[in-house]
Amino acid sequence: MKELQDFLLGRIWLREFTPFPKEMIEQAVREGFVAVHKGITDGLQCARCLENGPEKIVAFRCARCAGQCHYCRHCIRMGRVSSCTDLISWKEPHVIAPYSHSFKWNGELTNLQQQASDELGESLRQNRSHLVYAVCGAGKTELLFPPLHQALSQGKRICIAAPRTDVVLELSPRLKAVFPDIIIHTLYGGSTFEKGFAQLVMATTHQLYRFQKAFDLVIVDEADAFPYSYDPALERAVSKSLKPGAPVFYVSATPSQKLLESVPNQSKIFRRFHGHPLPVPIYQPLWNYKRAFRSNRIPAKLVEWIKQKLEQQEPFMLFFPTIEMIRQAEPLFKEMDSRIEAVHSQDADRKEKVMKLRRGEIPGILTSTILERGVTIDNVQVGVVGADEEVFGASALIQMAGRAGRSSIFPDGQVIFFHNGVSWQMDNARKLIKSYNKAGCR
Amino acid sequence: MNCYLCGNKMASDPSWRDLFFLDKPETICRLCRDSFEQAPAGCRICGASGLELCGECSHWETTEFAAVLDSGKCLYSYNPAMKEFFHQYKFLQDAVLAEVFAEELAKSIKKTRAVAVPIPMNHLKLKRRTFAQVDRMLEFGGVDYLHLLIKNEEIQGEKTREERRETRGLFALNGHPLPKKIVLVDDMYTTGTTLRLAAKLLKDAGAEEITFVALIRA
Ligand SMILES: [Zn+2]
Ligand SMILES: [Zn+2]
Ligand SMILES: [Zn+2]
Repeated sequence: MKELQDFLLGRIWLREFTPFPKEMIEQAVREGFVAVHKGITDGLQCARCLENGPEKIVAFRCARCAGQCHYCRHCIRMGRVSSCTDLISWKEPHVIAPYSHSFKWNGELTNLQQQASDELGESLRQNRSHLVYAVCGAGKTELLFPPLHQALSQGKRICIAAPRTDVVLELSPRLKAVFPDIIIHTLYGGSTFEKGFAQLVMATTHQLYRFQKAFDLVIVDEADAFPYSYDPALERAVSKSLKPGAPVFYVSATPSQKLLESVPNQSKIFRRFHGHPLPVPIYQPLWNYKRAFRSNRIPAKLVEWIKQKLEQQEPFMLFFPTIEMIRQAEPLFKEMDSRIEAVHSQDADRKEKVMKLRRGEIPGILTSTILERGVTIDNVQVGVVGADEEVFGASALIQMAGRAGRSSIFPDGQVIFFHNGVSWQMDNARKLIKSYNKAGCR
Repeated sequence: MNCYLCGNKMASDPSWRDLFFLDKPETICRLCRDSFEQAPAGCRICGASGLELCGECSHWETTEFAAVLDSGKCLYSYNPAMKEFFHQYKFLQDAVLAEVFAEELAKSIKKTRAVAVPIPMNHLKLKRRTFAQVDRMLEFGGVDYLHLLIKNEEIQGEKTREERRETRGLFALNGHPLPKKIVLVDDMYTTGTTLRLAAKLLKDAGAEEITFVALIRA
């Protein structure tokens, strides 16, 4: 029963798909430890992800409940929730005794990092939400460690949520090394069951659907698109996972206006940890590049740029607005150098290809926005094809530009926006980068 | 409306739908639609690409299952997009996806001018899956169908092809009078064992012509 309790605390889970025997759950329900919830409420809302749109909560004739049944399309990948499925949760809240956990970290923070870290500590004491507005390469993860240690030692349960699995997998081992005596669970689509009660949870934002009133603090990493305009359910997921009155720490390099306005407590770091300014994007017209790729031709200016990178043996990342264009372009670039690789979101070998670029085994990579963040490659040169395309908002452009010049050995990589007419978003991105540099130099 | 598969907003683009005389609203976007791959023409029985009669079907024709299937048609190849679709429909139980290929399936079935008979699901499995994926596509496509078969138990799965061929008694007749011309309908044609077991039972009981339509050729 203890194992079941450890697992279910703060969670809301499909009754049919737990790692425990049916009988154990039946007993726990009978004895009043576990509450049972209807998967889709009478008001036609999903009890797990709180979706209630009529396009997402749909009716069908169900053979199990022998009648009209509803199910949620929104969170279906986590196992379908329907009117006739039960969700279960642990009734009693859990109290973690304060304990001074070991803290294996002896890194140094820059003055700006230290200040932000202290400000987070203060917000933690006051139990209020906070935004860390830090440019790409400012070293935002490290500055979280001291306040995390403070919160864990007070017996707080914490979740760090990031939008992408890659980011979660990158961060999790670092946290485990810094907090060796804390049970940390790593949750993402397809992760395996981990034993015990996790005081610290590292998860993709989607996984928060499976929690309710669980955390004393949620840290939303890479909260750029927060509140998630394209998926309001994710915002609901964050608030559902919090205990009443618990704060949220947002970390972002490109926070939305709404987030800047709604979180009054802010720390700003407009300077990279190595102290050098952010590379400012250069504009390069690339007229009719779409037609060029369609007729199997790389525009001359782009050929020139790639040649130069190949000659100088500088690794490059070339971003494209659509997967379709990457497919058209890939064979053309392979003709220039057969080692050039292409990646996109559905590419299973994505990680391996990035590693190859990092190790210098391939000269460059063609990519969709999937690699816009989280990737650090020494001396990488960044090109954006079709920087004026609608898919590239200012924040995406800033993230892509932020790949360059991250290491202290090569602090000024090149960033070039290839365009078919300068867009407002491009200008906006460049203006912001310049303003960070100006503010960061003070 | 948003695309059932990628979730992107769909531009209402009536022109090409009109062109194909399709009257139901489109459920998936052009890009998603284009990611599926029509099965190429080939074997006259199973539709495998290449020979007029493929190796597997030639072999079947030397067994007691010779001529139980008169002909057949598979609509789509089992490419990555179709694998993803099938997984979402059958295993994630996304019931609305029945609409996506319903019309096309219905067209192929109607061409045969035979009575549509779905390959049934075992009733316990049906309860677990909560809906019969073949029946649901037929309903959305407006095809009247008739159940003639009862599936006895769960036998498919981890078996080798040889073992599958040995499988007996997978189906039983439900006692309904048999029409002369039958078109069996299934979601996927893999080895052809299931369809042949069903077809043999029906032919032995007096059906004259049996064809099939399957959504996917694996
Ligand atoms: Zn849901
Ligand atoms: Zn039901
Ligand atoms: Zn689509």
